[in-house]
Amino acid sequence: MSIYPYPEGGQGKLQQQNPAAASSLLVADCGSVFTKVSLFGLVEGQYRLMARGEAPTTIAPPQDDITTGVIQAINVIEFITGRRFVEDGRIISPERANGHGVDMFIATLSAGGPLRLVVLGAVSNSLQTLAEQAIFGLYAEMDTIAAPSYQATLAKTPEQVVAGQPATVGNNGVWSQDRIALEWERQINRFLELQPHAALIVGMAEPPTGPLPLQDACQLLVKAAHGLNGQNGASMAAPGTSNEQCSVLYAGAPQYVEAVRRMINGAMDVTRVDPLSPQSLSSIGTALGTMHERNVINRLPGYERLQSWSGSTPIATATSLSSLVRFLAQHYAMNVTAIDVGGTTTTVMLAGERGEFIPVVNSGIGVGPGMAEILQQVGWQRIARWLPFTIAEDEIRQFVLNHMLHPHTIPTDSRGLQISQAFAREAIILTVDAMKKYTPQWPGTDLVLATGGILAHSPKYGQAAMMLLDALQPRGVTSLVLDRTQLITQLGAVASVAPVPAVQVNENDAVTHRIGTCVIPFGGLQPGKLAVRVGIEYSNGRQMNVDVMAGSIEVVPLRVNEQALLTLFPAPTVDVGLGPGERARAAEEIDGGLVGLIIDARGRPLVLPANEAERQARLLQWAQALGA
Amino acid sequence: MTYPLGLPVIPQMLVRRERWLGGYKVQSSPLVYPGQEVLPDQPVLRIEYEGQRDQGLAFEPQQAAFLSSLPSTGSERSDLPPAGSASKVERLPAGLRGRVVDITARGGVVIETQAAIVQGMIGAGRQVAGVMALWPHYASAQRAQTQSAQRPQVIPPGAILIVPGPLDFHMLSQAVHSGVVGVVASSISLHDLEGFLRTDLIQLINSKDSEQIQAQLTPLTLLLTEGLGTFAMPAHVTDLLTGYQGSIALLSGTTAVRQGLFPELVISLPVKEAQKELPALHPDVTLRLGARVRVSGGECEGAIGVIDHFFLYPQVFPSGIRARAVRLKLENGTVLIVPTTLIERCG
Repeated sequence: MSIYPYPEGGQGKLQQQNPAAASSLLVADCGSVFTKVSLFGLVEGQYRLMARGEAPTTIAPPQDDITTGVIQAINVIEFITGRRFVEDGRIISPERANGHGVDMFIATLSAGGPLRLVVLGAVSNSLQTLAEQAIFGLYAEMDTIAAPSYQATLAKTPEQVVAGQPATVGNNGVWSQDRIALEWERQINRFLELQPHAALIVGMAEPPTGPLPLQDACQLLVKAAHGLNGQNGASMAAPGTSNEQCSVLYAGAPQYVEAVRRMINGAMDVTRVDPLSPQSLSSIGTALGTMHERNVINRLPGYERLQSWSGSTPIATATSLSSLVRFLAQHYAMNVTAIDVGGTTTTVMLAGERGEFIPVVNSGIGVGPGMAEILQQVGWQRIARWLPFTIAEDEIRQFVLNHMLHPHTIPTDSRGLQISQAFAREAIILTVDAMKKYTPQWPGTDLVLATGGILAHSPKYGQAAMMLLDALQPRGVTSLVLDRTQLITQLGAVASVAPVPAVQVNENDAVTHRIGTCVIPFGGLQPGKLAVRVGIEYSNGRQMNVDVMAGSIEVVPLRVNEQALLTLFPAPTVDVGLGPGERARAAEEIDGGLVGLIIDARGRPLVLPANEAERQARLLQWAQALGA
Repeated sequence: MTYPLGLPVIPQMLVRRERWLGGYKVQSSPLVYPGQEVLPDQPVLRIEYEGQRDQGLAFEPQQAAFLSSLPSTGSERSDLPPAGSASKVERLPAGLRGRVVDITARGGVVIETQAAIVQGMIGAGRQVAGVMALWPHYASAQRAQTQSAQRPQVIPPGAILIVPGPLDFHMLSQAVHSGVVGVVASSISLHDLEGFLRTDLIQLINSKDSEQIQAQLTPLTLLLTEGLGTFAMPAHVTDLLTGYQGSIALLSGTTAVRQGLFPELVISLPVKEAQKELPALHPDVTLRLGARVRVSGGECEGAIGVIDHFFLYPQVFPSGIRARAVRLKLENGTVLIVPTTLIERCG
């Protein structure tokens, strides 16, 4: 398994509240579309989730204050509990004798959009790939602007390709001065269009270009800094005035760092890190995470007020989730995959029992306004393939536009719900594909932990199971757990300040919706023929054999709090994790779940019938099998 | 550049807007200085274009028509080069009455003004200034109501047309051929809008590069107060717009979801009203009993009603989703149960 470094999220510098004495906590997660607030309290000596409230996030005018949405979500909890938590626009703290107020307030944030990063300098394909890996676990999106001198030089050697550019060969492969001037103009325009929060300068000043690409990058930044100030409507910036919108991370040749600082001449802040390489990904990721905090999160309207309520510095939701996923993997000694499908971001994180960690935060992909990006990337047919009814492209496009213009829309009819769930599948598929791009040997997973509104609010557990099986396409044996409370994204942040409440709430409330164990045979499944015979021996002694045919899904009754011993007899060409035709018997009893024991014998990779009527019939059949 | 307000109408507030044409291939020189008072028809920016008209940034005949049609002084046609010349010059009128408070680094002029603002759900096109005029069909209907004389109406070139109802492709084509600079209407079908703009609307409003992409559109700026479909314009929006017929306004159609930009129409208040120094009116967006709201999604999208009950517990909807909900009493007397996240205040 490949191991990718991941920047640790900085934890709170403020520790005004005493976590040991906290008997009640309010935990807020400010997403791009909705803000969720949860109340934790002590019940018979154990921390439990007492109530939840949800309200639209309010970072856009007219509210223009993130705390407004938090207060509205808290108002829902006040309505449910009859307690008061807000007074004169502030959180009442500590908790009073009459039950009003809380001892601790903690916040995580994914609102505000991603860090827009532009990579400059001698950007080769390999450096671009490394830069992409550096931002893997961050709310960030990246564009590349290779220096004109670098492009011009490489144009003479057509076997080399510049990142983000088609191979450009002019007359004899040499760029004219006019061509270079045009490229300069194009690049400055492009930089202004992108409105980046951060620029990453890369390149080792090696022949044939030498330090010229670094020089180009600096000149571009100096010119662009002027324009960025202008677009923000600020007064004309005096020379030497630092641009507050964009920061520079220098990960190029170390010997030129001072020269770069001199050239940029205070137009933007410059931070130096080790040159971009596989070894420096962690430090560069950490530095970019800090820039995301400084240039995006800290600038959210109302952020200072939110911070003033909190016992710890609010951190990015992905950072919080990563802490929890790694904790669970080590605690239970298993490979854990966490899925969080939000309105504009989809996150997939895989943590291994030996400390491996692969995070992918896919900014811009989601089931709110992020549907637009999905549609643009995959096309409407890939959405339609998951629907058990015929749909026209126009209807899907209208649906997407409605979610872009009204991000708080929730599907009230089943058609809308199924379209949203189809988008959720594609959001997960795109994110897993991004992960596989850099981790070709995709490790097996023992536990899939799913959260995010579209999964957590699924009216039926079978619907959540179907989305996960369709999109993740796990193999062998795995378990599905649904976080209906949407707490797992916040518990990492809670754990860093108050570990006991985090562990207890996690076990008591967050990961309690166990959908079930899944057996997924793969290999040479032959349609219509036996894929696997499943032998089940319930803990009460009852025995049962189920034959599962290739192309079908079966659910064997095994409810919550029930256990059974499982024996799998795959067909000779079919694999259940131990090799083709190898029988498998579980060493320990498996647990039941809200759906039951799921046998997904549809084959891997999952291929949907090409015929529309047949495809729709199959989708309905599979959904019925899962009770979806 | 627009600054989203999240509300359909703000009758009066002090705002600052940058007068700027958009795009990056423009050389501009301010014709005013910070602290100077400007009139809506007063040229405030001199724009020079390099390149050809297919860049979408060249001088538009509609704008010239608007400048020449303005009644007051201070607005002049620039020393335009002959047609077909590579370099072109334009003088942009302020569009707003107020005080210049800043000149941005790219040369835009920031004007502070006491204004009425209408925000659209969706739109397209760059910032333009023009005289607000009611679409002749509606103007005729209005005159008929007031029993005034019937005269044949033409669409005034350089104007911002107000259509208090849905638009269609034919009306947009008519507007373009008449030389207007902008249209404010309630709604339009997705098919007609994309047909007119000749672009993929999702791509347009999801673009990272909103300024450049807007500059490549058909040269007519659009603002739709209710969005896509065939929704009527709420009466209070219509009243505000018709009340300002003949005034000069600044219209931006830019819609960029990633950047949180939405179209808006800014109308500087008449001198008399502005001098009153009235406090800014911020409509209440809180959902409460008796509040008039509009359904923003689902099967009943566009329905308008009054909240008459908040449910204590989440309600189950046909999709099976449970959500906090309200009961609405619609204008036709029927009742509707809707998730609270699916309604927005509209009065």
